[in-house]
Amino acid sequence: MSLRRNLLSGWCCLATFFLAAPENLLTRRAAAAAEPPAVSITASNTQRVLKWTPYPSAQSYKLWRSPALGQAWTEETNGTRSGFQLITPGTNSSGFYRVEVQPLGSNALLTASILNRLAYGPTPDELERVASIGPQAYISEQLSPESIVETFDSGLTATNGGSVWLYGSAVGTYSANSLYIYLSAAGTSYLDDIRLVAGSDPTTGVNLISNGDFESGFPTANWIVGTNATASAATTEAAKSGTSSLKMVFNSGGSTFYNAIQFTNITGLTNGQTCSVGFWYVPATNASLTVRLSGNGILATPDAAIPGITFKLNNRTARIEDFRAWHIQRAVRAKRQLLETQLQFWENHFVTQYSKSRDYFDRFYDDGTVMGWLATDLEVRENQLWRNALLDPNATFTDLLKISVESPAMIIFLDTVDSRGDGSNVANENYAREILELFTFGVDNGYDQNDIVQMSRIWSGWTVRIKDSDKLNDPFAVQTTNQIVAGIGSTNTAVSNLFGVWGMAFRPERHFTNSTTSFTTAKSLFYNWTTNPVTSALTRSTGKTIPARFGPPWVGRDYSWASPVGNGTNAINEGYAVVAHLANQPFTEEFLSVKLCRLFVHDNFTPGYDFTDGVTTPEEELVKACMLAWENSTPKGNIRAVLSTIFNSDLFRGNDGSMQKIRTPFEFGVATVRSLRSTDLSGRPTADTDGYNVATLTGRAGAMGLFDRAEPDGFPEAGPPWISAGTLAERIRFAQDMLLVSGKEYTATTSDPVGLIRRKLPVQNLTSATAVVDYFLAILFPGEGAGNLEGYRTQAINFLNTADDGLTASPFSALTTTTTIYDTRVRGMVAMLLTFPRFQEQ
Amino acid sequence: MNSSINLLSRRSFFDRSLKVGLGVALSTLVDIPFVMKRALAEGNIGLNGKKLLFVFLRGANDGLNSIVPIGDPSYVSLTPGAGYGVSTIRPNIVVPPDSLTDYAALGACDSPVAGPSQSTYFYPNAIRVGNGFSALHPSLKFLAPVYNAGDLTLIHRVGYPRQSRSHFDSQNYWETGNPNNNLSKDGIFYRTMVESGLASVNALTGVSVQSSLPLIFRGSQVAMTNLNDPTRFNLKGVPSGTGDVKADAAIRAAMGLEAVPKINRDLLRLQYENMSNTLRIFEQLDFSENGNTFRDATVTDGDTGYSLSGSGGYHLFPTSNAKNGGYNRTGGTTDTSRYTVSTGAYGFFNQLKSAAMILNNTDAVIAGTELGGFDTHNLQGAATGSHANLQRTIGWSIYALRKYFSQYANRVDWNNVVIVTLSEFGRTTKQNTTAGTDHAEAGAMFVAGGGIKGYGKPGGRGIIGCHPTNDSVPWITGPANQAGGVDGTMFGVSDSYLKRAVDYRSVLGKLIRDHLGATQNQLNRIIPGYTNSGEKLQSGGTSTIDNTAIIGEPALV
Repeated sequence: MSLRRNLLSGWCCLATFFLAAPENLLTRRAAAAAEPPAVSITASNTQRVLKWTPYPSAQSYKLWRSPALGQAWTEETNGTRSGFQLITPGTNSSGFYRVEVQPLGSNALLTASILNRLAYGPTPDELERVASIGPQAYISEQLSPESIVETFDSGLTATNGGSVWLYGSAVGTYSANSLYIYLSAAGTSYLDDIRLVAGSDPTTGVNLISNGDFESGFPTANWIVGTNATASAATTEAAKSGTSSLKMVFNSGGSTFYNAIQFTNITGLTNGQTCSVGFWYVPATNASLTVRLSGNGILATPDAAIPGITFKLNNRTARIEDFRAWHIQRAVRAKRQLLETQLQFWENHFVTQYSKSRDYFDRFYDDGTVMGWLATDLEVRENQLWRNALLDPNATFTDLLKISVESPAMIIFLDTVDSRGDGSNVANENYAREILELFTFGVDNGYDQNDIVQMSRIWSGWTVRIKDSDKLNDPFAVQTTNQIVAGIGSTNTAVSNLFGVWGMAFRPERHFTNSTTSFTTAKSLFYNWTTNPVTSALTRSTGKTIPARFGPPWVGRDYSWASPVGNGTNAINEGYAVVAHLANQPFTEEFLSVKLCRLFVHDNFTPGYDFTDGVTTPEEELVKACMLAWENSTPKGNIRAVLSTIFNSDLFRGNDGSMQKIRTPFEFGVATVRSLRSTDLSGRPTADTDGYNVATLTGRAGAMGLFDRAEPDGFPEAGPPWISAGTLAERIRFAQDMLLVSGKEYTATTSDPVGLIRRKLPVQNLTSATAVVDYFLAILFPGEGAGNLEGYRTQAINFLNTADDGLTASPFSALTTTTTIYDTRVRGMVAMLLTFPRFQEQ
Repeated sequence: MNSSINLLSRRSFFDRSLKVGLGVALSTLVDIPFVMKRALAEGNIGLNGKKLLFVFLRGANDGLNSIVPIGDPSYVSLTPGAGYGVSTIRPNIVVPPDSLTDYAALGACDSPVAGPSQSTYFYPNAIRVGNGFSALHPSLKFLAPVYNAGDLTLIHRVGYPRQSRSHFDSQNYWETGNPNNNLSKDGIFYRTMVESGLASVNALTGVSVQSSLPLIFRGSQVAMTNLNDPTRFNLKGVPSGTGDVKADAAIRAAMGLEAVPKINRDLLRLQYENMSNTLRIFEQLDFSENGNTFRDATVTDGDTGYSLSGSGGYHLFPTSNAKNGGYNRTGGTTDTSRYTVSTGAYGFFNQLKSAAMILNNTDAVIAGTELGGFDTHNLQGAATGSHANLQRTIGWSIYALRKYFSQYANRVDWNNVVIVTLSEFGRTTKQNTTAGTDHAEAGAMFVAGGGIKGYGKPGGRGIIGCHPTNDSVPWITGPANQAGGVDGTMFGVSDSYLKRAVDYRSVLGKLIRDHLGATQNQLNRIIPGYTNSGEKLQSGGTSTIDNTAIIGEPALV
């Protein structure tokens, strides 16, 4: 990649012209690695127009002029530049022109690519950090997520006296002298060590709430209890610290002063002052906690934050909406960005469907809430297993595939759950087909219908069962006998009255035993078969070999697989043997390498390369490099080895990778929030979301319901399926809404661009339209090159310098930065940039 | 900060965008690609008033349980006695025959009418079509009046050579019109609209109402339109009193800016332009639920006990319980047994309604949507169940669209509309162990319209591909490996799957040429298989691709 940059850092293109014969005027310097901009000149008596085509990631275009060959070049300052053209008066004397392109430095270009691909889009702070440590250091760091500490995973929960305590906090501005505390519905919760302080760190400073540790009884002075919470009292049943806490007992949900627990007469703060609240609580079941200042200057809803949702996930009482919000909040906030994007990739590769699991549980349960919890739990658990696997430096594709094969969500999704191969039963082919077509080999790649029929029998008997939680990983464990409602009697063994965990189970009695089939040899994969002309029965002949197109080291390998007919519980091992066999075949290596290249580089990778025909493309070469990394890593199929190959490829690091991809709805929602996310001078985030809003967007902008894809191919990675008039309108609405202050539909997705530039720009630049616009262009479109953003820049500057009617001039420099009109002007300009086509890209 | 922000009304957006955006819009029309200039010279697509509405049945509909070969003893035994109604291939999912019905009798399709006191789908048996061999799933009962009016043709055994049993490959092949060609990147209806020459002139030519633009409408030169929900199809303002003027003008200006070529940038430019231009059209149309109450003008399904206000029948587009069949009964009572469709179908009917309204109210020539859930590997049911619910949606959709285009559509007459369903393949002849069916080969298509030559019309048949003698490629009854090595049609592929006798391209080709008005030359470009005489798409005969006899173009219009 450095070659290309060196070539371009000098003169890129030479345009010479004289008036008499303009069609002969153009000469071009050949460039080895990239086409220079094509230059054309048209001339008339009144004007000359010099046009050039935009060059990838150009930071600037400079025009140089020489009156005659051999004479000095001087920068052309005459004429009018607009877009990629220069118009000079026809009266100017003729001369030679050349266009100089200054492209982004290779580090800057790579920084944009890694923050767009390894991460869910750049943030202002990460752009600065990567500029400081360098992109290679970022790649190294992200390839070892276990070395990065995630603060939202630690320090926010504590176990005291048998109770799990969660920490909640919020920063805001002082809006009124009453603090409201309430549950969303009837329920019981414990509260302890609540602190309200000036400043953005609730753990330091004078606590403005008296008896916030509830060691002095309750209610004490300035505490008022609403009529729906009169049973609330100080208690020693639980305590985060000391011996007492506040046991909050609500007999109905609260919303404001009269149906909340209230602390009043707060003193020591003035309106608009930054303040913060922090507290420990034991979550209620089926009700969420709100702590807020009257007027919502501070609003804490800890049950919708990561620790609160984590609590529900661990409790197996999260709804799919909660898990999506948790997943999205992590995507926005995680330092381990590559881990999060990889997790999403593998989750989507080994796709399962929440709704199908929920339908399955409908056979056993009447309570829709319970069905939803159980189905969500299956998604959470496989996700957690992949997360743990990816934190292991030695993780292989085999490991990830095995998690998917054993996942109850997968067993239900592709209908193995009821499949039987015993007796005259015909096993369900669905999973057998898709594990080959979608999860390992790729479609029409090394297998045929015979393999599907044979393999369907291998999976017969794999099902799910509710088991004792300590036997979750035992596929032969019997159904649990623990009853939720004890005392009803031993006869109440209905599944809905059992307490346990749904896990994978193997039922030998359902496994394939039928020998009277059309195959004379059972459970043989990837063989050639001969057909008996009378009976049509198939007899196994030779094993299939890896096709010629793969070339060395793969070509000619016999990849057939055969298993003795398994007996009893031993038959489960057929499945595991198949997993091990499929995982490292070149078909799998190719298909997965292609999918990873599509994820990280661009859409145009397709399996089926002929690696031996002497004709290669950079795409083909990269796929082969990935396959070799897969093949040669120890252990084989090491995920990080393949990723590292991609990240070190020219294709990924150069312009052929940069900005070639469209953000999926999920990536768009997360990247939109991240694009403005830093902290203001008071420590508050300058962009934030509760995650639930982004999940709503993903549903609207292309039916991307996370963890609930109906089709087993997963959500598309390529751009075209996501882009249409309707989906673009939804994306634009979301981006505009994030910049709105009132009249919002995504109420928990907010931003403060002025808070951002107050932190990032020198004060004197806050009223400079060019400084403000250039800052936002740099953080929103870091890979495009400023020289290619001139059209956006012009519009943004005009926006800032125009009044709200869109017509009247209103200099930005004349605005006062503390006014609403200033805030509104900046919000409007940023919203405008976020709605532009380039922001759909990564 | 407390910015005051006005949300922009759609009206004001368009007034303003017209002012500032017209230059952009017009400029997009000037540079007509070569392919479309050529097309302007021939054909009548989009100029003859004919329109097409498609529904893609995703997941592969079990055609054998939609259009049932009830006369084939391998499907079910009709022998009187203890064995009557027994199916060895589909013991749990057979569509049960009615022992009081002579399925060999000829005539009109039986039309079970519920009357005022029965549930809508009271009749649980296979409905006699009347061609002496075939029957309909009971949940398709609302097709009977359409069939008997001659406005419907049922087509069985539809597929293509070397059938892929991958959903994704096979859907792609149906949508591109290029079976087994994985390099084909544009859609069959996209090419149809390009050939019309209108796609660079009108913002709306091909429209889908679903979550994303389907491949059938994708292509690189012009944009087709997709939206999920017309009632949300508008933009918000951006902060400030009237500052939205600036931002919305900016979107229109920004989307056309020259840029470095990247893989997806043409797509983005085309779709941004399409969004901007179609927003202006949709601003003129009311898609609200209240503004569009479409009801059957006459008593539906004999249900004289149902009347919302005065006489009249069921809502045509069941988008809520209240609009679902005879649920909302006179006197304020409700009756779920009078639902015409399952409650899970409301979203689909919202989209179907929008597609129909768009076809009527705009220049769009082809509109469509999709219905999912057909991948019934598990517990698909028989007369009731998940597959039956999907059949209800199909049957009621066609019934309702006929009524909509006859009663309400003021710009497009039912005689000028054709409705066609697509589905990537059929399902295994034998049920699997989970009382479902797996991926297989040939499936079924439904084609309806006032101009369709169906039952009772001159030259019309009503049903094609499901009879032992009526078609050039007969339906062979019985199991695989009969005397002389003859396989029954249901076991014609690998002794397991229904063998194709009709190529889906022959059906679509017939409609594109003889309904929409393409010339044969245009059709050859739209469906490249037509240029290979060995494929026999038009004439029928034995395809040289897979040595299989096919019927050729059915006499649809």
